[in-house]
Amino acid sequence: MEGSWNKLKFCFPIISHKLEYNETNREKLDELCKELISLNVLDEITQMLCLEIQNTLLKQIVPEFWKPFFENNLESQSNNKAKQKCEFQIFRNAITQLFRRYQLLNRIMVQVKYLESKTGKKLIYNFDEVFKSSLLSQLPDSFTNIVHAFYYVSFKVFINTKADNDDDEEFMEEREECLGCEMLQLKCQCQELVNAFGEINLCLTKMGLLDRISGYTLTHLIQNEIYNHIQKTCKGNFDTQHLKNLEKWLDTIVLEWLTRIYNNGSSKLDPTNTKIRESINCFQMKLKYFLYEKYANSIIDQFFNIIIEFPESQPAIDDLKLCMEKLDLRAHLVETLKTSLKTRLLHQGVDTCDIITGYVATIKTMRHLEKSGILLQTCTEPVKEYLRKCRQDTVRCVVTSLIEETPSDLAEELARSEAIKAEENERNKDEMNNWQEWSPDPVDAITDSEKHSRNRKSDIISMIVDIYGSKELFVNEYRNLLAERLLINLDFNPEKEIRNLELLKLRFGENLLHSCEVMLRDISDSKRINAHILESETFTSTAEKDEPSVSALIVSSQFWPTFKKETMELPDEMNKIFERYKKSYEEYKGNRTLCWSALNGKVNIEIEINDKKLDLTVTPAQATIIWHFQNQKEWQLDSLSTVINMPPSVLRRRIGFWQLQGLIRETKENLFVLCDEKQQDCEMETQVNVVLDEEETMVSANDQREEELQVFWSYILGMLTNLDSMPLERIHQMLKLFASQGPGFEFSQDELKSFLQRKVREHKLVYALGVYQLPKN
Amino acid sequence: MANQNINVDPISLTKNSQEETIGSKGSAVAKRLQKELMALMMSSEKSVSAFPDNSNLFKWKATIVGPQDTVYENQKYRLSIEFPNNYPYTAPKVVFLTPCFHPNIDLSTGALCLDILKEKWSALYDVRTILLSIQSLLSEPNNESPLNTQAAGLWKNQEEYKKYLLQFYEKNKDV
Repeated sequence: MEGSWNKLKFCFPIISHKLEYNETNREKLDELCKELISLNVLDEITQMLCLEIQNTLLKQIVPEFWKPFFENNLESQSNNKAKQKCEFQIFRNAITQLFRRYQLLNRIMVQVKYLESKTGKKLIYNFDEVFKSSLLSQLPDSFTNIVHAFYYVSFKVFINTKADNDDDEEFMEEREECLGCEMLQLKCQCQELVNAFGEINLCLTKMGLLDRISGYTLTHLIQNEIYNHIQKTCKGNFDTQHLKNLEKWLDTIVLEWLTRIYNNGSSKLDPTNTKIRESINCFQMKLKYFLYEKYANSIIDQFFNIIIEFPESQPAIDDLKLCMEKLDLRAHLVETLKTSLKTRLLHQGVDTCDIITGYVATIKTMRHLEKSGILLQTCTEPVKEYLRKCRQDTVRCVVTSLIEETPSDLAEELARSEAIKAEENERNKDEMNNWQEWSPDPVDAITDSEKHSRNRKSDIISMIVDIYGSKELFVNEYRNLLAERLLINLDFNPEKEIRNLELLKLRFGENLLHSCEVMLRDISDSKRINAHILESETFTSTAEKDEPSVSALIVSSQFWPTFKKETMELPDEMNKIFERYKKSYEEYKGNRTLCWSALNGKVNIEIEINDKKLDLTVTPAQATIIWHFQNQKEWQLDSLSTVINMPPSVLRRRIGFWQLQGLIRETKENLFVLCDEKQQDCEMETQVNVVLDEEETMVSANDQREEELQVFWSYILGMLTNLDSMPLERIHQMLKLFASQGPGFEFSQDELKSFLQRKVREHKLVYALGVYQLPKN
Repeated sequence: MANQNINVDPISLTKNSQEETIGSKGSAVAKRLQKELMALMMSSEKSVSAFPDNSNLFKWKATIVGPQDTVYENQKYRLSIEFPNNYPYTAPKVVFLTPCFHPNIDLSTGALCLDILKEKWSALYDVRTILLSIQSLLSEPNNESPLNTQAAGLWKNQEEYKKYLLQFYEKNKDV
């Protein structure tokens, strides 16, 4: 009995709590077996041994394995690099020790298994399972950090060795530190680290722990590295396509590293080893997906910058296009772009012109990204709404940039319009021929009306005009601007204007731009007529000596925008000349006459005061004012206002011009005096200024609209007086039928609705049960 | 794909249909009626008013408010006006829709007896002048050829007339 126990203790030192292994040969084991069988305790002893092994695992090996990681957690975090290095070492030591003990226990297990085989019963558990479960049952929180540090260090080393091969050596030599291990070049530990790394991975693989211990951390680490790599290489760099390089980077560097981990340090995969191959493939797929997602997101996050840099940023868009084929990013893209447009573009601080530029860039970019224009439509909805609601000057800005001298996106676009039209027809033909390639709209497309789908493919100018949904508004504004330009700049360049007009006609149709054509013709005609009249008998024969020379711009008032209704009384001398001019015109043109628009035009005047001469170009109003000071040096505001027939407030503003010139002073309230004393001289030097008052000669499109609305209101009143109550649709229909006399009736139902709602708020209408009524007295 | 579908512009459609109705009855007449409507809408006269009923330019509804300082003061009468195809060479047909107690207005049919709508019609009259004439007819009836003898008989006694008229109006007026 005693002997047997000693033999047992000798063969299995573990039974006396010693973590040792004695090499025992088969005979000795057989002998022990026989004795135990004769004592009838073999079963019990086998089980006891198992228990003892388990105990050792739980009480000794596992706690000792985890111990350094717990301790490490308390260490100061001061030096990151050193810490990582230290963690690398800790992990390495712990794993090496664990592996030694694992092998030791494994050998003991072989012997125990032999005993078990003698019993002929199934008595012991699967050792590997127990090993894993007992190990992981005590996993500390900070463990993943250490594993992370371990792989991080090795990854860096690996990347560095890879990079070494590619990069030029000179650059590397200049650095004192090795990029991989961050030690001095001389003391580079890279090779050592690589060896240790391979060794430990082998240990882990053998213990079947690689996945359990490192799997999660590894994935995490690689994802992080992918993210960093993308940020490092692609951020703010839109002018090259990165996707291919990124994929190559992933396939070579990252996957090779992974292969090494799983394949015992060798990057060459054994083709027969399907298990490793499979897990690597699985990894590759997951990582590729991740790469695409992260890269696409990084592009989307910078999408506004991409828009601004378009077309230089085209490669980035191409990349995104590729990503979007693989991933569903539409919703994310739309949301992100909407938000960034809102924060970057749609606020008070941005000029309307810049918003329009941004809008145009967005259209171009999105067009490139997606031909169908559905994303574009969804993304730009807020921009359109903002421009429509908050920016009164949108139309003006667009029209100005369409026709301004300096090249702008829109002007180019306008010039291109002809080509586009032809191209479009071509494309439409194509579409019919390739009907098999037709694909339905994605589900997120706005499908509320025919109009939308029509607009999607239209060009940029149409998209811009679409902000308001009405060509007429644009054409009216263009007409106003044209009129202003023609009136201010009398020696304009007709060729350019005519070319612009022709281009606009292509886009908006002849009819709408008819009046602009007349306007341009008026200008050239009036030059001719003017020359003729100035030479005509009737005009020259009655001319007085030294009278100012006149030249008239004769416009057909029907076709020009409404001039401001303000009036002004010209000096008699001028009136006489104008009257004569009018007579000559009537003579020349038969049954037509002239109506002078006293406030428009410009006057070249020469002022002689205090031996100084001033040459000025001013507005007729300013000239009239100073004219009156010629004979009378002091004027009360009121009396001058009656003479000139101009409201005092307006007159005061215009006198302000002469005050600035230093010619008139307001000595007392409302008393203006011409300054001809010498002391003023110094201030008013002989400056020759060409100043034109920034007064607007035309009634703005807005005011005109207001007038139109007033007409509609009369009709609505008449309608409701006689037909009692009507729903919105019918009012709209009736207006269209009966109130659409003028050119370009454009009054959408929505516009009508908001107009009627305004009247309801003003208590001029009652709205109940879906119909509008006049209030009962 | 969009250009496969025929995009029917709603505005042009209604314009076409309008032209059709005009075309069948002569566009000159329609033009004149449009002009009259415009003049009426833009005029400052608020006691008479008219507007096409439905989308038919040849059938209007009109409203007349009784002239101030008469027994018809502030009373509102609705009428219908139907223009013939050869308007303005033939007078329109005017009928009271709101029953009106008046010597020259038939109570059962709403027909009225006014010389300018019959033998004295002239192409120079228009909707506005017709309505103004009817308005003044209210306070100055022609008692020689009455359509409503009861009213003609009562007219001499203005106080009685007014009392009866008010009762009658309250009973028959439009809501």
